[in-house]
Amino acid sequence: MNLVSKLKDNPSIADALKKQGVSRRDFIKFCTMIAATLSLPSSFVPQIVEALEKKLKPYVVWLEFQDCAGDSESMLRATKPTIAEIVLDVISLEYHETIMAGAGKYAEKALADVVKNQKGKYIAIVEGAIPLKDGGVYCTIGGRTALDIAKEVCGNAAMTLAVGSCSSWGGIASANPNPTGAVGVGKAVPGITYVNLPGCPMNVENVTATIVHYLTFGKLPALDNEHRPLFAHGKRIHDNCERRPHFDAGQFVRKWGDEGHRRGWCLYEMGCKGPEAHFNCPSIRWNAGTSWPIQAGHPCIACASTDNWDKFGPIYSRLQNVPGAGYQATADKIGLGIAAAAAAGVAAHAIGSAVKGKPEKKDEK
Amino acid sequence: MAKIAIDPITRIEGHLRIEAQVDGGKVTDAWSSGTMWRGIELMMKNRDPREVWTLLSRV
Repeated sequence: MNLVSKLKDNPSIADALKKQGVSRRDFIKFCTMIAATLSLPSSFVPQIVEALEKKLKPYVVWLEFQDCAGDSESMLRATKPTIAEIVLDVISLEYHETIMAGAGKYAEKALADVVKNQKGKYIAIVEGAIPLKDGGVYCTIGGRTALDIAKEVCGNAAMTLAVGSCSSWGGIASANPNPTGAVGVGKAVPGITYVNLPGCPMNVENVTATIVHYLTFGKLPALDNEHRPLFAHGKRIHDNCERRPHFDAGQFVRKWGDEGHRRGWCLYEMGCKGPEAHFNCPSIRWNAGTSWPIQAGHPCIACASTDNWDKFGPIYSRLQNVPGAGYQATADKIGLGIAAAAAAGVAAHAIGSAVKGKPEKKDEK
Repeated sequence: MAKIAIDPITRIEGHLRIEAQVDGGKVTDAWSSGTMWRGIELMMKNRDPREVWTLLSRV
């Protein structure tokens, strides 16, 4: 990819897609999918189509700080038909350490050029946390601290997208005892216009949808109190989980590889944080919609929730309470209630006890 | 005699700086530095051993 040449030649999004051989049909499909991701009715599709046809590709710089490049991988691995092309061609990616050709001062010049020439117009994407301790020495690029770079680049951007949990709220880097004083970009550079797109890694479809929303409506999508878009983080995983009927029926996995696990029962007892996590994983999924952690048989670790590594208890210990959605009850009450409603007193007792964590009886059918 | 620095080294995962001592068009000495540190080892202390992989796999 010739990143520098794109500075001179910045066609409209529709032109860029055409050049890549994306058919009209695939383009409309893409717009429809984006509308669905954004939880918009299909009547908004023409508006999205029109915006993408007319708008010039926005300049984007991708900064990496205390990261593992997992979000970059997530972006590059986008495989849904045409998404890979769209992510790379809807935007004009001018700077990205992991994939760009130039190095050293040439790389830094590409970044400086965008900041100078596109001031107030470009999108800054930030991956990785920003360390504040000891003057920010724990992450430097080109001799400058992450904080110094973020202040300049994010401070002059039209908007900043914090992709992944590290740039959203500190992520892994901020796990106890947070040795480097790592924080998210919103905290490190107060006053900027930003969206948090956490997740470990971020889901590329939510990132694309946020950019398209911005291009179509000229503003950020509605955000929650953690600065995350509501379209992606407005719903609880537990409420949309494909294993939810098993929770309601009191059918739980109690041991890795037991019959319930093989049958795809609820992972609550194994420590699933789905009841306290808000993310659209159950509908968007990962790897081109192939699967997601719970579908694969692993409990949710609430990767997109602030301080998930420390605040939700050990990953494989079950949550004490199941909050939200009009009721506040522990799982034993729910399991008990449902079973009792089925007028099966003995079964109710069995399920209730099992959920309370009493000695396991035997795998149930 | 001149000392040059290439920072960032791109197309790698992580942050790397290479400095080289150049003497008459020949590199006579060189130094490399990883310029990012998170201290993930320190986060492993007192953690439930079963969940350590979930953090370490994200290095």
